[in-house]
Amino acid sequence: MYDIVIRGGLVVDGTGEAGFAADVAIQDGKISKIGPSLAAGRREIDAKGRVVAPGFIDPHTHFDVQLLWDGAAKPALEHGVTSIVPGNCSLSLAPLKAADRKAVVGMFQQIEEMPPEAFTIAFDWTWEDFAGYRDAIAKTLSVNVAPLVGHSVIRLFVMGPAAQERTATPAEIAAMQVLLRECLEAGAVGLSTSFVDVDEKGHPVPSRYADSEELDALCAVLGEFDRMLQVVPEFYATDITIARIDQLAELSLKHKIPTTFSPLFDSRGNGDNAPRAIARVEEQFARGARVWPQMQTRPIDLSFSLLRPSLFFARLPRWVRVLRQPLDQRIASLSDPETTDKMIEDAGPDGGLAMFGALVLRGGDAAPAELTGQTLAQIAEARGQGCARTLIDLSLEHGLDVAFLAASLGHEDTARIGPMLAHPLVHIGASDGGAHLASFATYGDTGYLFSEFVQKGHLSLEAAVKKITSDTADIWGLKNRGRLAPGWAADVVVFDAKGLARGEERPVFDMPGGGMRYTRDAVGVDTVLVNGEVAYADGAYTDARSGVICT
Amino acid sequence: MSHDEAIILNAVVAPGHDGAAELVVSLRHPNGGLETVSLDAELGFHLMKSCGVSSAADLPGKPWRRILEGL
Repeated sequence: MYDIVIRGGLVVDGTGEAGFAADVAIQDGKISKIGPSLAAGRREIDAKGRVVAPGFIDPHTHFDVQLLWDGAAKPALEHGVTSIVPGNCSLSLAPLKAADRKAVVGMFQQIEEMPPEAFTIAFDWTWEDFAGYRDAIAKTLSVNVAPLVGHSVIRLFVMGPAAQERTATPAEIAAMQVLLRECLEAGAVGLSTSFVDVDEKGHPVPSRYADSEELDALCAVLGEFDRMLQVVPEFYATDITIARIDQLAELSLKHKIPTTFSPLFDSRGNGDNAPRAIARVEEQFARGARVWPQMQTRPIDLSFSLLRPSLFFARLPRWVRVLRQPLDQRIASLSDPETTDKMIEDAGPDGGLAMFGALVLRGGDAAPAELTGQTLAQIAEARGQGCARTLIDLSLEHGLDVAFLAASLGHEDTARIGPMLAHPLVHIGASDGGAHLASFATYGDTGYLFSEFVQKGHLSLEAAVKKITSDTADIWGLKNRGRLAPGWAADVVVFDAKGLARGEERPVFDMPGGGMRYTRDAVGVDTVLVNGEVAYADGAYTDARSGVICT
Repeated sequence: MSHDEAIILNAVVAPGHDGAAELVVSLRHPNGGLETVSLDAELGFHLMKSCGVSSAADLPGKPWRRILEGL
């Protein structure tokens, strides 16, 4: 008798081959057999009318901190994600000396927007080395974790405060090599670095002070292990991104390592950005280099409040002038009828309906919770006001702490993005799961891949599954994951092919200290198994703690 | 208009990677090369101010070097 049999589903095994009707038997945490009419299991899971696929793998997350109190990386697991890669963008929580914790916490808060309590009340900080962090999270994992080690923390460990002041000496570079080697031996799946990120004071993170000799030396160590280099390039400038692609290609060829960069997205006003970058990637792959661009599936929403000046108003001069004033003067101007009458006049003869009507109240701020999810047009109508007047008055009534969202203003053209996601050299990733907590939800990209791109015919069901399972495992060198095959890890997701999607974005207050984040529920996911144990079923998490550090 | 320096061709507001509005500025360099750069709010407003415009719609035709003024 098997431990578990998932019976009667459409098996989409992650290879890209056509799905087929079969049972999937699981024994001792691994796939035991796939075929028709298998013998009984101690637990039977009915998958009739459902897809049975390998668990999804998310290669770009920042769950480093959350994993210390939430081994499921909620809500990633309920979306069918069974393996995650934290430690991206040059930042990890190890190796890290106690004296440097404050500095790294500031960097994490800048990126993740996690409340300070997350670092003070949610866990005991017991480690300094990478193995210590690995052991700290490994106790309660429900998902598998393939951790990167951050270049910035390696630099900080070796150089102290000088890591954010200067290039490294040859001796310091050698010490970083030793440290990186220790991390890789302790389970790190690669090194992350950033040419872009800043700390909470706006200073470049340590990795940005490295010269090319330092990066080359670290890549030499990656080459000893055939491990990944992840990079955040200057994605705001296409030409620099292309120069970075060339740099990564040289490192890949010289040290025989895979490299990946993120994010790559389609931008209004710069329609050549992604196509040019992908074309350069094709050229470099043709030379034998491995430079994987990571592209997210979800569109980019634009959000703002009147607390800070936003370029959303960049074509409304009077709004710009008012919103760039110091806060007290700004509030005074927004309270002045003469000033606001002119601002509203600028918003158009319809009172701002066309310009602002589709804005959505995001929630999680000072506005009444019942307004969350409503459009400004709906709220304006209920108030008997125009949209521009409502935007101003509603903000004033709540100390300007009212967040508005303009949905899908970037990376939103499915007809353009679909073929890019389907491109064999484009790596689906860059979700940023666990980061930007107070800005937007970084969950549900896998569901969106199916609800938007599979449903609209840009990828087949099988191709979409392959993209986020075996392709990801192969790119990252994750052994025995990403496929449903006998002997492979039993990471499995059972879902409704037509119903798989992401829920609406909503604010929740589940961070340590009652901190807020935006999240999305899973839609269409029935069951998720991690290493042969049911970790999520029927809309609820189980007590399974079967996740492992995977390499 | 001088032809021996980079000129702003267009400026469009778009959401950046982090969901904040950015100013996507298209440039033409003196050698004919085209370039596009995204500016965050601080730099975007700085560019508008240093170019003496109060709307991004008025940026086309302005010299790109103005972004350096006051930095």
